[in-house]
Amino acid sequence: MKAGESILAAGVDVGSSAVKFALAQVAEDGAASLLALHNERIRRRELRKVIRDGYEVFLEQAGVRQNDIAYTASTGEGELVDFRRGHFYGMTTHARGAVFLMPSTGAVIDIGALHARAMRVDERSRVMAYRMTSQCASGSGQFLENVARYLGIMLEDVGPLSCEAKNPESVSSICAVLAETDVINMVSRGISRSDILKGIHLSMAGRYTKLLRSIDACGDVAITGGLAADIGLCRALEEKIDEEKLTMRVRAHPDSIYAGAIGAALWGAHRHRILARRPEVVA
Amino acid sequence: MSVEILLGIDLGSTTTKAIALDRTGRVLGRGITNTRSNYEVASQIVREEALVQSRFELLRHALASDPELSGIEPKFIGALVRNFRQQQHLEQVEFLESELHRCADAPRYAPNRKTVKEMLRLICQEMKSRVPDHFSELAVRKSDFFRDLAAADYMQCAERFSDAKHASFDVLCGLFDAAILEVENAAGNGAFERHASPALEQTLAAAPADIRTREARLRPAVESVRSLDFRVLGMVGTGYGRQRLPFPKEQIRSEILCHGLGAHAMFAGTRTVLDIGGQDTKAIQVDHTGIVTSFQMNDRCAAGCGRYLGYIADEMNLGLHELGKLAQESTCSIKINSTCTVFAGAELRDRLSLGQKRSDILAGLHRAIMLRAMSLLARSGGISDEFTFTGGVARNPAAVSALQGLVEQNYGVRKLNISPESIYTGALGAALFAQRSAEGGNAA
Repeated sequence: MKAGESILAAGVDVGSSAVKFALAQVAEDGAASLLALHNERIRRRELRKVIRDGYEVFLEQAGVRQNDIAYTASTGEGELVDFRRGHFYGMTTHARGAVFLMPSTGAVIDIGALHARAMRVDERSRVMAYRMTSQCASGSGQFLENVARYLGIMLEDVGPLSCEAKNPESVSSICAVLAETDVINMVSRGISRSDILKGIHLSMAGRYTKLLRSIDACGDVAITGGLAADIGLCRALEEKIDEEKLTMRVRAHPDSIYAGAIGAALWGAHRHRILARRPEVVA
Repeated sequence: MSVEILLGIDLGSTTTKAIALDRTGRVLGRGITNTRSNYEVASQIVREEALVQSRFELLRHALASDPELSGIEPKFIGALVRNFRQQQHLEQVEFLESELHRCADAPRYAPNRKTVKEMLRLICQEMKSRVPDHFSELAVRKSDFFRDLAAADYMQCAERFSDAKHASFDVLCGLFDAAILEVENAAGNGAFERHASPALEQTLAAAPADIRTREARLRPAVESVRSLDFRVLGMVGTGYGRQRLPFPKEQIRSEILCHGLGAHAMFAGTRTVLDIGGQDTKAIQVDHTGIVTSFQMNDRCAAGCGRYLGYIADEMNLGLHELGKLAQESTCSIKINSTCTVFAGAELRDRLSLGQKRSDILAGLHRAIMLRAMSLLARSGGISDEFTFTGGVARNPAAVSALQGLVEQNYGVRKLNISPESIYTGALGAALFAQRSAEGGNAA
């Protein structure tokens, strides 16, 4: 590799519900641009195969070959990415991806299928403080996905439907699994799908606001993770923050769900440069 | 001709059950279906199903009491029921197909509609061709519910036929989720009237000589149960969804009472009842007449309820039936770290991808749910005497042996009763309450 040449780096973010891929072109000075993004939902298929097949589709779409990529990094549950060169912890990749997408980010709330975590970050995307949800899936993305399935709604319709709500129905049960049954109950009581979804979004938003407060987040809060694509949840989070008069602004980027994969690609490129400068380490 | 019956309906969170008794309290028929968002439809379906079974049961009585026919009835009715179920299933697959196509008419599919519809046609064709196998004499079905059977077949075919560009697996899954809701929320009334004749013809056509020679006597016997009228003397509803049943208030009883009475009717010596249902777990102490003296209940958290195992089964793409059998193959149970059901599901996936054995993980999950039941039992007053285990989970052999082990460790050897029909305990209690009020009403 010649000095000054830009390289290609890929990031693979293995979540519990979807695998996300990102390809970035990174210049010597660290300036980066995104070339391709791909999202592959797992849908209970064999994970190793989903990752492999998804990666092939992704490479084809990007029009590159595996050999063109200088560094492939995994994040999330990345043990099964057997073609990776390195792995980065999810918190650092989400912070990096969020700051890349939205440079004014002061805090990140990563909302995935099972966990949510809030991080306070500095302008170099270092994590200054963090807090995660505890050992219970109440209000997780998986739960929302199950509810959508029960209601016969495609996941991408959840957000728009929630935004149409007039009288959000509050969700009483705390348990994620039993709340599904609560939802059936609501349907049988004739409550509209919009009001049910909005109620769930509000209860989830309440939990996330608590997380953000506990790390003293302020300024621009970037939403990342799979649920960043859910406009209804983002709206509910804004409402909760307003209600509690906190000095935060919630922001989502169209590519927010790829933040982890993007962060992994960028950190991967960074590590590749360091290794390239110290050839003895590679050998 | 009309037959007088009493009905008990138990509307649980996962399954809805019905029991039909004759006036003497003898069980005529049982019905079960998966609960869906429309409770009225769910209770209608089980009621209908209990009546279908009642007709088969009455047919069995009729054949057994006819000297020329007695002896062939197990074989004949067995085949008739299988053919009947096959007809019923086929009708529902056809309904599902029309709903799938209707869902595919939504504007969003316009660009690839032709491909999507062609794929749906192929999938449904394959599904229909599989129906006879599901209902053959030796078939082992993953589940008895249309939803589960159809979903398993559909997903397999969808994965095979889908292509990423025009009709991805994801799109096909979404269509199924929307269509199955419509299919489930339509009540299929009059099943016996519709399917009995074709099922009879099918049975006779394939029947061995000893049955075919008696055709002239069998036809009128089937016809007479087909045209039978049922007169419902009383009906009581119970279960998690009881408040939503389309019954008057005085026909509703709490599930605690119904489970106590139902367990007492099955095993008169019972003093402690553990019921693990879908939505909640109950530990109940009853006296010698089946009346409840104390109870403890968990309905806050799915860990420790039947839903826990249901969630795991979904996660593994298994039917609830298969779960326990698989767990019993375990040689070395694995300790599960997560409490939360959703997290246990994720832990399961992690452990599977690390190469641990499915049976060993499942054994650990079964032990986990029983550990939570033990603490509930202790709080309700422990186990002093005969002990009855009811609810859907009692049908699961691995759960039962995990429970047995834990009871023995904590309380010493206790007599453990489990009825093969234990899932109907609540419905039976409800039907007995219906019988009591019908008798009371007649006396007054």
